[in-house]
Formats: sequence, structure tokens, C-alpha cells
Amino acid sequence: MKRILPFIISIALLATVVAYIYWPTEKIDYNTQVKPIFNKKCITCHGGVKQKAGFSLLFREEALGNTESGKPAIIPGKPDESELIRRISIEDPEERMPYKHEPLSKEEIEILSKWIKQGAEWGEHWAYVAVREESVPAINDKWVKNDIDKFILDRLKKESLIPSAEADKPTLLRRVSLDLTGLPPNEDIAKKFLSDNSDNAFENLVDDLMASPAYGERWAALWMDVSRYADTRGYEADRGRIIWKYRDWLINAFNKDKPYNEFLTEQMAGDLMPYPDDNKYIATAFHRNTMTNDEGGTENEEFRTAAVLDRVNTTWSALMGTSFNCVQCHSHPYDPFKHEEYYTFMAFFNNTRDEDTQEEYPLLRQYQGEDSVKLMQVKEWLTANVSEEKGDEYYTFLKTWQPSINSLQSDQFNNAALISSWYAGLRKQGSCRLPSVTLEKKTHLMFRYTSNHDKGELFIHLDSLNGPLLKMIPISKTKGWEINSVEIPMSKGVHNLYFKYDNASMESFDVTGVMFDWFKFDEGFPGKENPGYAEVYKNFSDLMYAKVQTTPIMFENNNEQFRSTHLFERGNWLVKGNKVTPEVPHVMNPFDPNAPKNRLGLAQWLTDKKNPLVARTMVNRLWEQLYGQGIAETLEDLGTQGIPPTHKELLDHLSWKFMNEFNWSVKKLLKEMVMSATYRQDSKTNDELQRKDPENKLYARGPRIRLSAEHLRDQTLAVSNLLSKKMYGKSVMPYQPEGIWRSPYNGDKWVMSTGEDQNRRALYTYWKRTAPYPSMITFDGGAREVCVTRRIRTNTPLQALTSLNDSTYFVMARSFAFRMQQLDNSDVKKQISKGYECMMYKPITDNKLTALVELYSKSLDTFTKDEKAALEITGVKDAAPKPETAALVVVANAMLNLDEWVNKN
Amino acid sequence: MTQKEIHNQRLQKEAEHVSLQCYTRRHFIKESAMGLGSLALGALLGSCGNNPSPIANNFFDATNPLAPKPPMFTGKAKSVIYIHMAGAPSQLELFSYKPELSKLDGLDCPPSLLEGKKFAFIRGVPKMLGPQANFRQHGQSGLWLSDNLPHLSTVIDDMAILNAVTTDQFNHAPAQLLMHTGTPRLGRPSLGSWVTYGLGSENKNLPGFVVLTSGGNNPDAGKSVWGSGFLPSVYQGVQCRSEGDPVLFIKDPDGMNRDLRKASIDAINKINHEEYQEYKDPEILSRIAQYEMAYKMQISVPEVMNINDEPLYIHEMYGTKPGEANFANNVLLARKLVEKGVRFVQLFDWGWDTHGDSAGNAVDIGLINKCRRVDRPITALLLDLKQRGLLDETLVIWGSEFGRTPMQENREGKQMPFKGRDHHAAAFSMWMAGGGIKGGTSYGESDEIGYDVVSGKVEAFDIQATILNQLGFDHEKFTFESQGRPFRLTDVAGKVLHEIIS
Repeated sequence: MKRILPFIISIALLATVVAYIYWPTEKIDYNTQVKPIFNKKCITCHGGVKQKAGFSLLFREEALGNTESGKPAIIPGKPDESELIRRISIEDPEERMPYKHEPLSKEEIEILSKWIKQGAEWGEHWAYVAVREESVPAINDKWVKNDIDKFILDRLKKESLIPSAEADKPTLLRRVSLDLTGLPPNEDIAKKFLSDNSDNAFENLVDDLMASPAYGERWAALWMDVSRYADTRGYEADRGRIIWKYRDWLINAFNKDKPYNEFLTEQMAGDLMPYPDDNKYIATAFHRNTMTNDEGGTENEEFRTAAVLDRVNTTWSALMGTSFNCVQCHSHPYDPFKHEEYYTFMAFFNNTRDEDTQEEYPLLRQYQGEDSVKLMQVKEWLTANVSEEKGDEYYTFLKTWQPSINSLQSDQFNNAALISSWYAGLRKQGSCRLPSVTLEKKTHLMFRYTSNHDKGELFIHLDSLNGPLLKMIPISKTKGWEINSVEIPMSKGVHNLYFKYDNASMESFDVTGVMFDWFKFDEGFPGKENPGYAEVYKNFSDLMYAKVQTTPIMFENNNEQFRSTHLFERGNWLVKGNKVTPEVPHVMNPFDPNAPKNRLGLAQWLTDKKNPLVARTMVNRLWEQLYGQGIAETLEDLGTQGIPPTHKELLDHLSWKFMNEFNWSVKKLLKEMVMSATYRQDSKTNDELQRKDPENKLYARGPRIRLSAEHLRDQTLAVSNLLSKKMYGKSVMPYQPEGIWRSPYNGDKWVMSTGEDQNRRALYTYWKRTAPYPSMITFDGGAREVCVTRRIRTNTPLQALTSLNDSTYFVMARSFAFRMQQLDNSDVKKQISKGYECMMYKPITDNKLTALVELYSKSLDTFTKDEKAALEITGVKDAAPKPETAALVVVANAMLNLDEWVNKN
Repeated sequence: MTQKEIHNQRLQKEAEHVSLQCYTRRHFIKESAMGLGSLALGALLGSCGNNPSPIANNFFDATNPLAPKPPMFTGKAKSVIYIHMAGAPSQLELFSYKPELSKLDGLDCPPSLLEGKKFAFIRGVPKMLGPQANFRQHGQSGLWLSDNLPHLSTVIDDMAILNAVTTDQFNHAPAQLLMHTGTPRLGRPSLGSWVTYGLGSENKNLPGFVVLTSGGNNPDAGKSVWGSGFLPSVYQGVQCRSEGDPVLFIKDPDGMNRDLRKASIDAINKINHEEYQEYKDPEILSRIAQYEMAYKMQISVPEVMNINDEPLYIHEMYGTKPGEANFANNVLLARKLVEKGVRFVQLFDWGWDTHGDSAGNAVDIGLINKCRRVDRPITALLLDLKQRGLLDETLVIWGSEFGRTPMQENREGKQMPFKGRDHHAAAFSMWMAGGGIKGGTSYGESDEIGYDVVSGKVEAFDIQATILNQLGFDHEKFTFESQGRPFRLTDVAGKVLHEIIS
């Protein structure tokens, strides 16, 4: 018996294998064969939103359930008895489905019949299944340079297409340089590559480019779209926001090739990592790029909630290529997410300290010079004399002013108000309530406030206006905002505090007597009995008033301020449903039970190799940056309604490699992509390719795409020798026409930057959400009110007008003309030819040269006759007109508008 | 022959002429086999097509995307002026006469109206708010109109008022998107893009689809309400400004005269043609077309956007003030643009969100002021179009994203400082005129307090279907293939409102 059993098992196994191979009908795959038919032909009427005749194809239980007729439309195993098959096959147009539309093809009907015959099984959409290692197609071909090419060539062969030859060196040089650094190569790099005939020439070029600091700027610019970076707060007034340190953090992160998993973890939860330094805090500004509303009369909780929802939506759309916001109001119409899963996910984000305050608390406070020495002194003294915990606590408090209670949490205003919906302000004999304050062990109250009146008195009562008096605090006139700390008697538990203000010296009852920013209840600055206390306490006080650079950051609520999360009925934040705790959707990889149920745990879950979406989304995004379209075109939606990937196996292969072989190195991933023969192909097309593959989805040619707004500005600045190499810092305001900024209740002005700040790379341009820099928008930048997952490229006359006439571009043309004159001092043909070579790295063709020389002659003619025009066009004052220069400016302006210049070839 | 018959005959002739042109063009290309890329050729042929309903296919001639094209059938309108009051004006103070509501003024809202309902701002039990305007019957049709619109009352016999419009969106941006793109989410083409895609433009030197905004702000949904979605971007609306440069960067740099600009664009395009020969990328042809268009726009846009030369009586009629950015100027510009053959003019006027949180947002103060600014110019538009014989072929639509509640808003359950109304999706008013619309009609009714629709319900899709119908398109067949399926503006809904068509 013992011997027979394995034998029987082997036979059974063999039978299964044989059956699998030789069974007359092959297994129909739900995802690749059935679902596309449903989505294309049926789901509009029989799916998420509509369920005509009571029939839906969204979930299996619905599809197999009874329809309005009382019978199911699909009977597994029995296609002949299934109404669905009857209705798609019948001839009578009144009965045939899809109603009033093209009938299904024979093949489609056959697929559905077989599928029902085989049991009508459902499958999980590929994007929600963890990435597996793909086997690389066994292809041996001279053309192939790395594995990418094998996937591409495999498909091309199936479509009877052959790949294009490698592009010429100048084209490749410009292409890869723009792609990797966003700039044309500098002269050294260009010369080195063009004269390097070794096999490694291209690889050396790629390495040089990746080592250039411009690399980080180029990829930071991309991530600024993803993270909805802006220098203003959005909404009606759209006031300024100082958050540029986050942009600088991005530049450094890309330049240092911070592994993508760390890159995400720090942005999601840098504040929750052990001993966060300034950089980790600044990384969390990723999710502080949400909009805040300063408008008077708005509900702060509403906009706090809106920001939290945006964090959820951005986390999904930017990092996981999923449009999760549908689930805010109802279960996802097409993808396997349930309504409540939105809110369990939101619970991860619902406990940060930001509350739509005017100051945009919490802020990281960065001390400079002597102040940073003082900060360390305070921390070290407390650690030595009190405890390490106290040292850390005060260090964190000085860095963030957290934990503290914003005065906008108060309510029950009586002759008092939440002034401009920002600060609790009390008038004579006015009062308000600060709800649910934990007083246990608290002996001190610190508060930030301002008052214009001496001899005021603030009374704090427990639990009601007439409750026991906790403390009376005299309030004197302040110089702007001041911070005070007073002793309070110890109480037990949690209390509502009633603040009453009175001032016998004030006549009017209508004037604000005192206004509060925040409160902090604590145990007081410790260590009074220890030597050096006085000095350290003075340092502490000085630091609280120090002038500092600030950046909005994420900071988690402590237990005392914990916020519970509820489901919103139909997405309405005011109609709260059941209480929920942090969870991830069931369809995704499980949450590590040992991980903390907060943003840090969430970051671990995101960067878990089993997360099916994070690596794929980034691979797809980078591919799109190089090739003009993602492997799955809809970067924002890899789900069932997104456009299916053209090369799913390649997407998975690269995603696997990204995580496992490259250890999340973005540089390695990009290098793999650009080193492929696929990328290096010539981008010329022809009639056959245009017919078979107009959009180059099969990659039988190289990418040819219009440059982004940033690329265009930067390369034009570079070629005209104007580009500033200055990195980092406050956003700048290059020339902009009048009348662009139009925010009500906001006096902010566009103040033109001076000197080299006029000519900084595009990513440093001040970004105002309601009125972004015009040329950025014209060339398809988004307003960045929410995450921009993908820019749709357009081709419009307004773009032509911008690069022809926008002063910024015209100044560049002038400067380019001056540069051409320096390249050769007399011969205009040589000037133009050399200028062209500066742009394209290859000689100009005769026809192109002729066209430009003709333009030159005509212009010279005009300017010789019209000296005033010559002066105007060269922008020169108080000098003799130079018609030759003027004519060359016109030529330069034309050259910088050539199709080959605004495109990556 | 009546004026209408003349008009119809003219449209019929125009349609024939365009098909003839098409035929000739195809013939010419076939015969001469000129050096165009096969794609462009295919597109040219496609647009004239052997296919019985050419519009149902994607036809996009990259070399001349805005060439005029015949509709599916002879439409009554050639162009559209769509006036959208962003923020949602109150139907109860303008078009929807509800005397019963006055009787309920100040009473608690009955629970039956609140059960299971969601509002943007109303909380708890609000009070009913009677109409804050007097209503009167006007014209031969005897339609009711409030005294807030005294001028409009004189043209009421040209208007068809829809009093039972309904939507399922009660926030501004999604509701505006639904009205203009057929979905409350981002990413679909707007009405104006669909129309420009379907009909092209009569004027080669102006954009086919122009957007003008007033009221100090863009509409809440931003520029997506005039975006082209998945249609080629050339069909997106072009925003023009009535102060400063009418279109940004339309002026040549100082010292560059027109001849030189022409010469430089010629040089650019010559080189780009050379580039095309090498790369065969149709986008290059498109860029060539865009540069030519840009050059023409530089002349024609400032010309058409200049209202200084209009006669005094026109300025008086519209209440225009040259040099300012205001609604009246935009309405006059709309007339000028349509006269020049622009296909679709979209106006947005911001500032109709009368919540009662300030005097400017009160239905008895701010709303009246806003009405004063639009009443005269809109009336002038209808009269002016009529006197130029353009009203018959220009479809004018007035409306918003939703209406306002018969209850007074009580934000946070508290009394508001002024009389205001919350967003109301269930029933509101719009009107149409010209372009084959039956004047002096009223269609649809809400209940006696204007809360819910009783009869003649009209959804955004119905309005879109009707607009397309007037232009000569069957909204069910007018599709564009995207993401593997044909999309239409009206998705799977929409019915033409035959009741208001003459």
C-alpha cells in the first residue's frame, strides 16, 4: 500500500497535467479575456452605476444572482441555458444585446460561452495581485541590449514589426540628457560623449548625467506634480505658504538616490521615525501640500477634513495608481474596494495636529547659529539634570511647538468670537469654552496671546462658567504675540475650561481685549533645583521667540488629543456613521500585525514587496517620463477601468527588479530603462508604422514627444547662456505679465526677482495655485490643487504665441543671438550653423540653413531701414543701433521655436 | 417666404456647400495624390467619408482640425452662446413664481422635506423663506418673471423657460462639470469642445471655442469646464480677457513688425516641413497648423476683442464699459465673436452663491445687485442678435449648476446674518432662446414651494442633447472612441426637449 499511494498520486497528477494540456478547450482567463468584453460592451448598463433589468456584471455573486425576470442570466457550466448567451447571439434586434449597439463578434461570444461552460469563474484584477518574478522571453537577437528589449521584441515579432536602428549620437545625447537632467548636456559632457567611440560611451554618458546635480532638480520637478507642491494655500484667498524646503529635500533625495521605499517612508511618516532630524520632518511636508482655507466664516474642521481626504486620495492616486476617491461616497463602481474601507484607511491620517490654522501649525522651527547651540544646551542640560525623556520632550517642543492646543478649538463664544475663524478673542466680560482638556498632573499653563489693553484679567473656570475657579491671570498689553507661562493648581481628569475676560479699565464691550493663539498644559519647565537652571530657562524662553525658518510638517496627536474616525455617510463629512480603526483594504497585501497602526506602519505596508501597486506605479511613471506614455497609459488608474498595460509582463519584470535587484534604487531603474535598445531607437516613423502603431505603443521606434513646460524653459535658458546654476532656496518670480494674480481678499503681489533669480530653472518659479505661471499652464502644467498624476500633452496656437512672444522667451532669443555672434564674429551663415549645433549637436542641413539665412536677410533689410525697431528688438538703450544683431535676434527667436527644439527627438 | 423659411433654406444650402467641398476635396486628393502622409489623407477622406454617419467615427484632420464640417442633419443653430452664472442664482427670486412659499415664510421646515435629505450647509431644522421678489406676468405668453429682471421681461416671448431642471450634484465644481462635460468628475470633454470637434469653425483665424469670465474669479471647477478631455486638445476652449492683452502673448515683441513675424513663421514652418519629411510624425503637421493659426490670431483676436469701435447706441444698449473686465463687455464680445463665425462662446460670471453669509450674498441684496449687472446686457444680446438676423441661428442658453433651497440657510444650525438660501439640486430654472427654440414657452414645473419637480423634469443630459440637436447632431450617435469604447457627451442618457423646439 505504501508503495502504491505515491504511484496513484503520480498518475493522478499526470492525468491532471495531460488534461490541462490536451483538454479540447483551453482555460478562459477571466481578467484578460472575459472582463475586457464586459467592460467594453456590457458594464455601462449592467455594472457599477446602472443595473438594467436587475443584472450586474460587477461581482460574481451579482452576475449569477436572479435578475428582474426572476432567473439568473448566467448558469455556470450551462452556456446553452444561460440567458446572457441567448441574448448576445439572437438575431432579433429588439432582444439582442448590447441593445442598439454593434453585436458581439463570434469570437467574443465563443469566449463567453466557454467561460460559462468552465464554471464562470471570477478572477482578481492583475493590479491587485502581488508582483511576481516574470520569466524573460527567450529571445536571442543582436538588437537586444537588456531584458527590456526581449519583452519589446517578443511583442514586435508577434505584430510582424521590426525595431528601428539606434538613433544617431547627437540625437541620443540630447534625448538622454533632457530625460535624465532636464537640461541639454554641458559642453564637457557633450564633447566627451561625441568623441568617445568605445562601447561604453553611452553608459559613461548616462553615469555622468546621473551624477550631475541637475538630475535631482529634474526629478524633483516631477515629484512636485505628484505631491501637489505649491507656494500658496489654495482656495479663495490663496495666500502664500513657505514650504520650499520640501522641494529642496526632494532635490537632495533624488540626487542621493534615496531608495524609493525610504523616500516614501520619510514622506509619509518621517515624524514618527525614531529621533527624527530636520530632514525627516521636512519630508513629511509631502502631505502638508494640501490646501488650507483662510476664508473668513469657513468651518476649520471642514477644511481639516478636506485636507485629510486629499491625503488619502493622493496616497492612492500618486503612489498606488488607483482612483480611490470614488469610494468616499459609495463602494467602488468597478474595483474591489468597499465604502467603509475608505474610512478605515483615512483613520491612518486623521490624527495629525494640523487644524486649518492661519499659521499652518504644526511647523518645523529651524534654528540658526547661536540659537541652535542654545537648543542643544537646553536638551543636554535637561537630559543630564532631569531625564532623557524631558530632554527629548523639550527638544521636540522647541522644534515644533507641539503638543499644544490651538485656540480655534474653543466654542460657546459669548461676547467673544473666533476671530476670522483663526483665533479665540474675548471682549470685556466675554467668555468661551475650551473643551476636553486633560489636567491630570498638569501644573502649568503656557499660552501664546496678544492684547492691546493693560489691567485685563483672565479667569479660568472648571466645567461651567460659574464652576470652580482654576486660575486668575492678569493680562497686560503685549508687544504683538507673547508667550506666557503660569502655575495652575493640580486637578484630576479631563475638564471643559471656561475662559472669562474682564477689564475695568476698558469702556467698550465691543473691542477685543485678548486674543489667543494656542495653549499648552504641562508640568512646567523642570529642574528648578539644579544648578544652571536660570540660564537654561532663559535659553528656552529666548528660543520660543527666536526668528526661525519654518516649514509645515506632519505631527501626530498624543493620547490626550486623539481624534476618533467615523465613516461619512455618502461621503458627507457631517453625517458621521460607525467609528472605525485604521485598516487597509481587504484586497491588498495584509497589514503586518506587528507594525504600529499609524502612518509609520502604513509606510511599511506601502513599501512591503507584497504591495501590488507601489512599485508598479513608480515604474509606470518613470517609463511615462521617458517614453511619453506609461506601459499602462492611465498612470492614475491601474484598476479595471484603466487602459490595460501594453506590456504587462515587462511592467511586472521591472517592478520586481526595482524592489528585489535594485533595492528600490531609482537611478538603477532609470539606467536600466535608458540603456535598453528600445530607448535608444531612432524616433523616425513611416507610413507602415503610422498605420500599424500610430501611438508607438509597441515601441518599434524611439520616443518623440513634446518637452514639458519645465524642460522647455530650462533648455532655452541653457542654450542662450542665461541659465542660473543656483540651486535651492525660496521660490523666485521671473517676468510675468500684469493682471495674472486675481485672488480676492489678498494683497500679495508678483514682485519680479532680480539678478540671476530671473533665470533660475523652472522648478524654482513661485507656484500660485489659483493663477499659476502662464507659460507653465499653457504647456500643460496643472494647477496642483490636488495631485497631478499625469499631464496630458496638447499642441495649441497659444503655445506658439508663448514661445514666440512671451518676454521671457524673447529675452532668451536675444541672448542666444548674442551667443551666436560670439561663436563667429562676421559670417552670419557660420553664426547660424554654430548656433544650431549648440542646440542640436549636429550640423544644420542646407535647406534649413537657407531658410534661416533668408529670414536673416529680410530682417536685416527691415532693420537697416528702421533703426528704432532695431533698438527695440535688441533691447539696447543709448547705443548705436546694430541691424545685424537685430536681424539675428529674429532668427534666434525662430530657431527656438523649431519643432525639433520643442520636441525630444 | 417667411424669415424662418429663408433661414432654413440658408442653413440647408450651407450644409450642401460643405458636403460639396468635401467631395471636391476628396476627389482632388485622389486625383492628385499629393505628398501628404497617408494618415492625413485618411483623415481627410474620413471626414467626408463613405460612412453614412461620419461623425460616429474619430475624424481628426491634424493638418486642418478646425475646418468646417457638416453636422449629421441640418441643424437650426450654427453657433452657441452659453451663459453660466457660477455659484447658482436663486430660481425663487428670478423665474420660479411660488406664491405659496410666501405663506410659509418664517415657519419651521416640515420634517417631510428634510428626512433623508442632505444639504451642503443646512443643519437641523431650517425656516422656510418666502420669495424675496415680486413677480409679474409679461409679454404675450404671460410668463412669470420677477422684478429683479425688468429688461429681460421685454424679450420673454423669445425665451423658453425650463422650471424643472434637476441635478444630483450639490457642490459647485462637480455640478458645473456635470453640466458642461456630462460627468461630475474631471477628464471628459466639455460641451464646447464636442461642438467644435463636430462642426469645426467658420472662422479660420479665431479659435472655434472661446471662454470669457467675469465676476473676479474663474468658475469653481476651474478650466476643466472648458477642457477637451480625450478629444484632441485643439478643441479646448481658449480663454480671452477683456482687459490687457486679449489673449496672453498675442502681441509681437517690440520691434518685430508683422512682415517679419510672417517671415519668421514661414521660416519655422518651412523647416518643420523638412523635419516632417524626415520623421513623418503627424504632430509636426499639427504644429505647423498651430503656428499658422497663431499668426492669424494675432490679427483677428485683438480686432474682434476691441469693443471701442462699437456705436454708442450699442454701448448704451448693453451697458458696456470698454477697458474693464465685466460681464456686459463679455456679452457684447460674445455677439461679436458669433458674428465672426466662432462656434461656441462660453461665458462664466462668478458670484451668485447667495448663502446669506454677507450682504453681497443675500437674496434680497447681493442677488439684486448681480441681477442689475446682467439683466441689461443679456436682454441687449437677444435684441441685438435679432436685429442682425442672427438670433435664429444662434442658440443662447442661460443657467447654472443648480438652484437654491426654499428654506433659509442656517449654517451650523445658526441664524445667518442675512437672508440666503443653500444649494438646491432637486429643482431649478434655466432658459434657452434663439437657434430654433420656441419663444414664450415654459416647460416643466416644480411643486408649489419649488422644492421638487412635479412634471417636465429636465436633466443636464437633456439640455446637452437638445443643444446638440439644434446644431444638427443626434446625441446618441455623436461619439468619440476613447479607452476602447465610444464615448458620448450624454453618456447613456439624455432626451431632446421637443416641447421647446419650434
